[in-house]
Amino acid sequence: MIADHKWLWPLVAAVALLQSVAIAKIVYDRDALLKSGREITIDVVPVDPRDIFRGDYVILGYGLDPIDGKLIAPDLQETIRSNDPVFVTIRPGATPATWQVVKVTAAYPDTIEASDAVLKGRVTWVNAQQDENRKLSVRYGIENYFVPEGTGRDLEQAVRDGKVQAVVAVGGDGTAALKGLIVNGERRIDPPLL
Amino acid sequence: MWSYRKRLARDLAHWRSQGWVTADAEAQILKDVASGRGGVGLAPVLAIIAGVLMCFAVASFVAANWQDMPRLGRLGLLLGIIWASYVAAGALASRGAGAFSDAAVLVGSAAFGASIMLVSQMYHINGNPPDGVLLWWIGALLAGVALRSNPAVALAMILVCVWWGMAMNQRNGTFWPFLPAWAVVAAAFAWQRWWPGLHIAALALSVFVVVSGVDFGRGDSHAVVALVGLAACAAALLIERQVPALHDIAPAILGYGFAVAVAGLLGLQFLESPGHLLLIALAAFTLILCLAAIAYGLRAGHRGAVWLGYIGFSVEILALYTTTIGSILGTSLFFLSAAIIVAMLAYAAWRLADRQNQSGAPG
Repeated sequence: MIADHKWLWPLVAAVALLQSVAIAKIVYDRDALLKSGREITIDVVPVDPRDIFRGDYVILGYGLDPIDGKLIAPDLQETIRSNDPVFVTIRPGATPATWQVVKVTAAYPDTIEASDAVLKGRVTWVNAQQDENRKLSVRYGIENYFVPEGTGRDLEQAVRDGKVQAVVAVGGDGTAALKGLIVNGERRIDPPLL
Repeated sequence: MWSYRKRLARDLAHWRSQGWVTADAEAQILKDVASGRGGVGLAPVLAIIAGVLMCFAVASFVAANWQDMPRLGRLGLLLGIIWASYVAAGALASRGAGAFSDAAVLVGSAAFGASIMLVSQMYHINGNPPDGVLLWWIGALLAGVALRSNPAVALAMILVCVWWGMAMNQRNGTFWPFLPAWAVVAAAFAWQRWWPGLHIAALALSVFVVVSGVDFGRGDSHAVVALVGLAACAAALLIERQVPALHDIAPAILGYGFAVAVAGLLGLQFLESPGHLLLIALAAFTLILCLAAIAYGLRAGHRGAVWLGYIGFSVEILALYTTTIGSILGTSLFFLSAAIIVAMLAYAAWRLADRQNQSGAPG
């Protein structure tokens, strides 16, 4: 440890400041995305009937997975691998909160229909063989909903009963942020921090 | 420390009986060693342990997701802990309490990680978990280097390993970014001249090489692991002879290289499925390597090499015993041949030592 060094206090301040700025930057970016992003609502479906509630967060499924391999863009068919970043274009189905995947592309698509939304995600798995049965799964970073300790079970039951919708803010670059949930028609959304 | 004292007492008794050391000098040396001067004191160790416990308290605070305090308040509290820790570290350092200061830097770095976790939780972010750990290890390394705090750099190295583990879970194949990250943190250890840190670095790299051997380029590649280990051993022997400046670190490189080489050889023999002849050749090579490590360790006074040699030898023969070489009779024949060869080596070594003693040559 540095002791009796003329740079001691400037260095202490620099370290504390840089770490605080890093945290503030994440907060600022997220808040901006939640405020300015386009708001869409997606039906939440139970993902794993055994244990969707794990400790302090509930795992949310969106019924988009598994995605049909035919929806992968032609230029991506050969090269797509698990953990690759992809852009998934979704379109409202029977209800405004029921979405269907339209296509999976390597970059943000040039043209989309007005009702479409584009989500940036990462491939969790994809079948290697390119045949009729090819499927893939994508994570969008909005699959975990953190809840106060001990309150997860009620929410889990509501998810099983199909009474939960997710409110998602989608940024211009496809980044998705979970704003909150609609449980039994009641909006549960944390206000922006700043 | 304790074993050193015992060994020294035994050696001193021998030296006194030879007339090289007076009884008075022997008593003085033992008294000096018993005073524990130069060793690690209790207070610094307790300070670091208290720091580690504090880190877990902060992490658990985040995990509880306690809603009775507003979100901004919780974030403010964690940022407050970051600032308070570093200010405390500065104050303790300027009063000369280096170890306590190190513990405070450690708490600050942990609070930084806890803040990242809290923000992820508040915004329900689970995009790419390794990214959070990446930011955390960079922050811990920054604190460790800027404030010259060894425990914070050690935390950074542990986090680099966690980062690698999380990334490995997500993908197939080796996670190469581990290597530059490892090199940066290892360089920080070297710059701070912190010997235990270099051991942590060597251990992390060895584990990386051995684990990656399972899927270097998607196939079993234990041969690469064995070759990397043998290359490290060769480099250590070369350094020992040719580079006096790095003479001190050669035995450690040799030890880690040997362990990696044996792990690779064990993988080649028992995780991949070699033919009988190749298995026998690899087994013989592994046993010879272990004997060489023991012989080197005894000659150079490097007890780590002796023990690693014994451990490698034991694991190898136990693994061979449970595998059959062709038939169980074949296994028996292999062990018999190995026993005869080692017995002959023992006889030769004994004759050699005997002759040297008679001629008065140094052993």
